[in-house]
Amino acid sequence: MTKLNRREMAEKTEKDLAHKVLDDIKAPKDLGLLRCVQCGLCTSVCPASRHSEYDAREIIKRVLDNDETIIEDEVIWNCFYCYTCHSVCPVGNSVCHVNQILREMAIQKDVGKKQIESFMSFADSYLEEGLGVIPQEYQGQLKIDYGKHWENLQENLQEVREDLGLDSMYLLPEAKETVDKTLEAIGFKKRVQEIKDVRNRK
Amino acid sequence: MSQKNRIGVFLCHCGGNISDYVNLEEIEEKLSENEEICSIKHHENLCSLEGRNIIKDQILRENLDRVVISACSKITHGATFEKYIKPLNPYLYEMPNVREQCSWVTNDTGKATKKALSLINSAIESVKYNEPLKKIPTTVKDSVLVIGAGISGITTANSLAKQGMKVTLIEKRPAVGGAMIQVGKVFTPDKMSEDCAACLLNPVIDEMVHNENITLLTNTVLERSTRNSGNFDVILRKKPEYVNPEKCTSCGNCTHACPTFAPDEWNEGLNSRKAIYKPFPQAVPSTYTLDDEACIKCGACINVCPTNAIHLDAIDEIISLTVGSVVIATGHQRFDTSKRPEYGHSFYEDVVSQMQLARLMGVNGPTDGHLQVPSTGKVPRRVVMIQCVGSRDQMPDAHKYCSKVCCMVALKNANLIHSHYPDTEVIICYTDIRTPGVYEKYYKYVQDNGIQLIRGRPGEITREDDHMLVRIEDTITHTKQEIPTDLVVLSAALESSEGTIDAAKTLGVPLTEDKFVKEKHPKMQPVSTDIEGIFVCGTAQGPKDITDSIIQANTAATKISELVNGGLEVEPFIATINVKKCVLCGTCIDNCRYQALTMNKHSVRVGPIACTGCGDCIITCPEEAISIQGQSDEKLEASIAGLLKDKPDDEQIIIAFLDDIGNVSANNMGINRVACPSSIRIINVPFINRVKYRHIKYALTHGADGVFLGEYPDTPKHNDIRENVKVMKKHLEEDGINPERLLIHSVFIPYFRGLANQFKEFDEELQVLSK
Repeated sequence: MTKLNRREMAEKTEKDLAHKVLDDIKAPKDLGLLRCVQCGLCTSVCPASRHSEYDAREIIKRVLDNDETIIEDEVIWNCFYCYTCHSVCPVGNSVCHVNQILREMAIQKDVGKKQIESFMSFADSYLEEGLGVIPQEYQGQLKIDYGKHWENLQENLQEVREDLGLDSMYLLPEAKETVDKTLEAIGFKKRVQEIKDVRNRK
Repeated sequence: MSQKNRIGVFLCHCGGNISDYVNLEEIEEKLSENEEICSIKHHENLCSLEGRNIIKDQILRENLDRVVISACSKITHGATFEKYIKPLNPYLYEMPNVREQCSWVTNDTGKATKKALSLINSAIESVKYNEPLKKIPTTVKDSVLVIGAGISGITTANSLAKQGMKVTLIEKRPAVGGAMIQVGKVFTPDKMSEDCAACLLNPVIDEMVHNENITLLTNTVLERSTRNSGNFDVILRKKPEYVNPEKCTSCGNCTHACPTFAPDEWNEGLNSRKAIYKPFPQAVPSTYTLDDEACIKCGACINVCPTNAIHLDAIDEIISLTVGSVVIATGHQRFDTSKRPEYGHSFYEDVVSQMQLARLMGVNGPTDGHLQVPSTGKVPRRVVMIQCVGSRDQMPDAHKYCSKVCCMVALKNANLIHSHYPDTEVIICYTDIRTPGVYEKYYKYVQDNGIQLIRGRPGEITREDDHMLVRIEDTITHTKQEIPTDLVVLSAALESSEGTIDAAKTLGVPLTEDKFVKEKHPKMQPVSTDIEGIFVCGTAQGPKDITDSIIQANTAATKISELVNGGLEVEPFIATINVKKCVLCGTCIDNCRYQALTMNKHSVRVGPIACTGCGDCIITCPEEAISIQGQSDEKLEASIAGLLKDKPDDEQIIIAFLDDIGNVSANNMGINRVACPSSIRIINVPFINRVKYRHIKYALTHGADGVFLGEYPDTPKHNDIRENVKVMKKHLEEDGINPERLLIHSVFIPYFRGLANQFKEFDEELQVLSK
């Protein structure tokens, strides 16, 4: 039996989820979230909606219904940012933008940190070398996906670069130091640590 | 004003409404010092018949040549006193509003008396500049140009012609009837049936063809239009008449002989037609026509024509007309669905538009009325209709508005399919179904017939094996669905037609942001345009159905009839041009958005109906050759001088120039007894633009502490006015006057409390400034 939701006339004290999303720094200024009429065009074109429990329209519905449980719902992690919903929406809404904001809200909590912990090896290479290198643990799948040619490139990267007349891909010490300072200043390091703390706690 | 005036001043008590708050004895005493005032009289109620006798008696006895009546607002009793001052010319009086704008809004008798005296003095100074004027009788030529011969244009033409007017009805296409003749079937909500559109339209067309007051010109467009003293000189261009309609017997030999093909517009490009053709069997006029873009001039048709009716070297015809009014009935076109490529209209044969479906079902269509899937020629097993294609869509190139008719169109066509092919399943995919009024009954009827409705907007159509596949989420059941179907029908938005945009451009009529013809007022004046004498009806003004188009078409005819038959008399407050100063530069003509000014050989002429007396031309004229009759710059300056006459140094005075809306708002302040600072002295001007920098400077250098401009913002000149105020503030600075002493504010009739607050705030600010 579903519970009856009674809308009291009392003044709203707290901002509802939709306005929290709209006021988020990541939200485009003219995001059409409140103009959504639940037409479902987004869902009809969304690959994630087609192949999983994710439903683009439903995401917006729950945000508009002020259903904060969506932040902890695993389903928001099914979107892979193809932006198709964004490109077709007749009222200028963007489910993928809303999703990104919801994920950021989730990351403020443990539940979201767990979701992104598998990306930490990216962060590590960035912290160590100042480079966005593909971590070792992904190499196996990439070999399967891209085949021999890609494998060759990875193994002989140094020579290929030399052939092309390129310098070493590693940063000079002073550049590395600048990157390091920047990562410190913008809170990247702190954030990575927080995410790792959640992993280590369990 | 060298010679002395003989002015009479009449002070109305208004049964205590004025005399309880204003010391009229004191005013009389002050006024008696003015030697141009030959008579001062009081009365309890000047608007009474007794009052009338007093005024008339004094005018005759004292030989008065000007009259000032200190009483209520001109809106209340202006017309009364216009009559009471006979035998004086009705424009030789002024009415200082001592009731609404003084006694009712000022609590202190001393202050009220001072203010009343200054208002009366202003009227005395200003009335000296009043000229004896006459209302201008005007006539509008009883000939009308109607552009577009669809249901709207034909309806207007018929109505006008029946009222005795001469109508020229032009149509860009070779045949009349517009979208209605093409659509085949129309629904009738009260009968729950689909009726033959041509059967309903043909009697209307017949009436048009047989009415001697109507000249029909097909293949004709409006090329140019110039305003000429209230009339429109128009140039029409008629395509070459390759086939002589007098000789053509519609035998069709030419079409058989013609080797060239072109897409058939009548069938929305579903099939081809020849380069020489008849648009459709029932076309009016019933002549054959030649598409000169497709024709290769081989002459095959000439050889077979039994009546020698074809001339390939015909040239176009330029027609010149003068008409009194113009009706834009140029209709709509349908949204180009290729702008929504995800629906594949341009590359899937089995995706069609509602109009194409209508043609496929039309007995005079490419399949003789048999519904066939284009790729297979078979009856479809299922048809899926998609609503809101290009409507309710804020993507670039699409339209934000609802096209208003598509829900009904889809329901009609769905029901039509259902009744002819009961085995064919029809599904309508919708966002909202909009069937207002009795149309809702038709919607329920269609549902009862088993038409399925899915609440969802599909985003993708693909081809799968021998059929199409529509992907949609049923948002009610929350199920993601794939729907195989033989035919997909897109309900494309209605949008402004090319012809509408062209006509508006040629006529100088503004368009809305959606590119439809902009009405003078969308609610109150839905068929008038900003240009007096140009009207709009039907889908040229916005999406609407046949019934609404007909209503609007008849309304447009009525409005023209008012102009032609109403014996129009207009107020004389229009622009006049000083021919000695005018250098015929034409700046005023280019700037007049009402097209009221025209170049006439060696002078600029003002159209009395078109001119609104807005005074914009006064500002643009580099030679200062233009003035508004009865509202000269000098008169305005005299009003200011009067307000500031004998002003003590310690009294703060703000001159508030209010436009007509602002003036009514200020009157409402009085009617509702909302207090207003006694420093506020109102001068009513027709438009804020009428107040020049010289007036503002004069006021601020002759004792006024501040100048307030009250402007109704919902006018096309709003931005210009605001810009102009910025410029004037700069001038003030250059002249060493604090620009903060000039303030512009928006005014609205019901917003009188707001206006009172603005007055109060400005009054307080100025008190601080002056310290």
